[in-house]
Amino acid sequence: MGEQLTIDSTLNCDVLVIGAGGAGLRAATQIGERRPGTKIIALTKVVSPQKSHTTTAQGGMAAVDPKDPEDRTIFHMFDTWKGSDCSADQNVIKTVCELGWEEVVWLERHGMHFSRTEQGRIAKRPFGGHMLNFGEMKAFRACYEADRTGKGIMDTVWNESLRFGVTFIGQCVATELLFQNGVCIGTIIFRYPEGAFLAILAKATIVATGGNTRMYLVSSNCRGNTGDGLVLALHAGLPVMDLEAVQFHPTGMVGPGILASEALRGEGAILRNKDGEPFMERYAPTAKDLAPRDLVSRSIMQEMREGRGLFHEGHKAQHVWLDLRHLPKEVHEKKLQEVCSFFKRFVGVDPEKDLCPVTPTAHYQMGGLPTNEYGEVQSDAHTIVPGLFACGEVAAASLHGLNRLGTNSLLELITMGRVTGDKVFEYLKDAKDPNNLPSDAGHIVFDQFSTYLNSQGREKYAQIRNSLRNLMQEKVGIFRAEKPLSEAIEGLKELKEMAMHIPIEVTSLKTNQNLWQIWELNNLITVSMIITQGALARKESRGGHFREDFPKRSDKFNYHTLAYMPEFGKVTFEERPIDMSIFQARGEHYELFDYIERKY
Amino acid sequence: MSDLYNITLEISRYDPDTNLSWIQSYQVEVGGIIRFVDVLRKINDEQDPTLAWASSCEHAQCGSCGIIVNGKPLLACELLVQDAVERFNTHAFHLRPLTIAPVLRDLVVDLEKAYNKIHETKPYLIKPTALPKEGDEYRILPETVEKYVEATRCINCFCCASACISSHRHFLGPNATMANIVRIMDPRETAKEERMEILYNENGVYRCHTSKACSFVCPKEIDVSHFLALGKEDNF
Repeated sequence: MGEQLTIDSTLNCDVLVIGAGGAGLRAATQIGERRPGTKIIALTKVVSPQKSHTTTAQGGMAAVDPKDPEDRTIFHMFDTWKGSDCSADQNVIKTVCELGWEEVVWLERHGMHFSRTEQGRIAKRPFGGHMLNFGEMKAFRACYEADRTGKGIMDTVWNESLRFGVTFIGQCVATELLFQNGVCIGTIIFRYPEGAFLAILAKATIVATGGNTRMYLVSSNCRGNTGDGLVLALHAGLPVMDLEAVQFHPTGMVGPGILASEALRGEGAILRNKDGEPFMERYAPTAKDLAPRDLVSRSIMQEMREGRGLFHEGHKAQHVWLDLRHLPKEVHEKKLQEVCSFFKRFVGVDPEKDLCPVTPTAHYQMGGLPTNEYGEVQSDAHTIVPGLFACGEVAAASLHGLNRLGTNSLLELITMGRVTGDKVFEYLKDAKDPNNLPSDAGHIVFDQFSTYLNSQGREKYAQIRNSLRNLMQEKVGIFRAEKPLSEAIEGLKELKEMAMHIPIEVTSLKTNQNLWQIWELNNLITVSMIITQGALARKESRGGHFREDFPKRSDKFNYHTLAYMPEFGKVTFEERPIDMSIFQARGEHYELFDYIERKY
Repeated sequence: MSDLYNITLEISRYDPDTNLSWIQSYQVEVGGIIRFVDVLRKINDEQDPTLAWASSCEHAQCGSCGIIVNGKPLLACELLVQDAVERFNTHAFHLRPLTIAPVLRDLVVDLEKAYNKIHETKPYLIKPTALPKEGDEYRILPETVEKYVEATRCINCFCCASACISSHRHFLGPNATMANIVRIMDPRETAKEERMEILYNENGVYRCHTSKACSFVCPKEIDVSHFLALGKEDNF
């Protein structure tokens, strides 16, 4: 190779959005609405924002209409707190739940095609862990667009961004954050088609790169969800928070793990084991199939462990059944049109007549870049990084703590996107134009890419990727314990070393799939290391993080994990306190916002 | 279900550095319920890491992996090997990139460029109708939504545009035209005149030759030509 890597050109803007999914573009539209003429550049890894991972979200967006005769915002706040296993931040819960309906109306007025009731209002459906009267019975709280709610949301914020003249740059990744006197002033990007490096200087930078669960063998995530935004921050010396909290969605389609929405159970579908028993009744007598995801996923795993699962010959994988046969034709054909077609196409079963084979699938990262309630990124529990913001799945404010309720992610994308947009709007008032590219700009990324391009050795990309996925699935999955976690850490060190010795087959920078994938693989290994070390350090079970050797929640761990990794494998931890402001305000029902027992 | 298939893929390749194009043949042994994206990955893993192809969600919801298989534009992620063998009645498949945008490498086309046609139709509400009172949603009866809801399912994979005999020249294309028609039918849109101009302009719906190839190939099984017909008749 030996070709000198250089920055081809520099672009300037007011606001740079890294990741043009639901959260990033809701922030962009908020800024566009409040400050017309703001020059916004939005980057996306895919070809168009419309193809972002947000578009694959299915079931709904939780929001309580203040005019609802039965539901109340305080119930939603309580459900979110309880669902998080008492580890979400209450200031964020309050902000997000209170803004929810306003944002649903915002989406509707900007053209989203919500499903409607007979009266023409926005229709709602039940979802796991969302209940009336502090856990008594299921609530109709999820506003939806059939089973393509994420697509409806994505189309709406993308369309609105077009209206405001947001400049999209597709098929690129942000590879190195730029700073000047401690202020974030933009990033270096790598464009896939031309293989060019560009610098983008901005007064404010919003990281909204989404999730990371592609290191698991079975995952509902897009091919490109490789934790890029987290690694971007880690390379800048910034911490990540609560990465040990990985959500496994209970119902992935057997095999690849394609999402089969919780909306199926919201509409009445039932999980069954090999004997046909509706087993969730044993694990969650009140909520049954609509218990929170962490609990349902563990129950499914338990059934399979105790020999009540089934084996899928085609995919060579264990599964249980999801039964939709009793649901009305209209539900199959209209309300769950996409998922039912996925079952037919990808699994070859007809949900109207057949039982559907499902298995838990790695779905969502609860943790992420630590931010305050305004989306400002933190460098420790108390300090913010000027000019740097984050929202959406890559960020942890944290609405979800260690377990997220279904339909709260779309809610979070939109509300926290807006809140972050508002904060950036304020920030722009006094923000200065970054004048020059720092002299050392590119040192991280050029070093990385030169290593990949000049690497010698016999290692194979595919083999390392497969080993990583098997390792994480087996040792850092739904059930965790000290020994497998320690083994995983050693395994990850070996994989990292191996990943340095993959000879590259295509040396041109143009549309270089090899180079792109090796970069992604390194990101996945980096993030996996922090997930695993975080899981080892948290010697308790809480939400999506379950330790067989410490199966109970412990008050000793009533905090968020902040993790730094200045050098691969060398992780240091700090604690960030959980915000208890609803409890501390001593308002109505405040006692329910204490560290309460969690039963469904 | 677990039977193995021996298939041959003839893949159109293109190297942007040398500007050379050629057809390369791969023999693969795979299970029947494996998707074509998995087959391509298997080729990368076991035979040829240089073969470039595109995908993202890999379950027919994003429309990033459109390719042409034995003449038919489709999503590589939702074509299972056993279905392909049955549908095309062969074990040999010719894979080509979509024809609606420049090829970047092998099966990867620059869809970013194709999207400009969607942007031209202004897919947002240009001028929303007067709003109901604060905090309230606009009321739309389900029977109204029902008339255009199918069209809102479009994921812009450009399979229809690739199959369309007119869209390579002046026509905006079936999917872009349908994006405009959605907003014409949307009761919240008041800028109907501007929308009609987009619909009937030089690149508009009358460029459509009514081959109905769009409806035939749509991976989401949307009857695209039905919506285009409504546009031609001004019958919304």
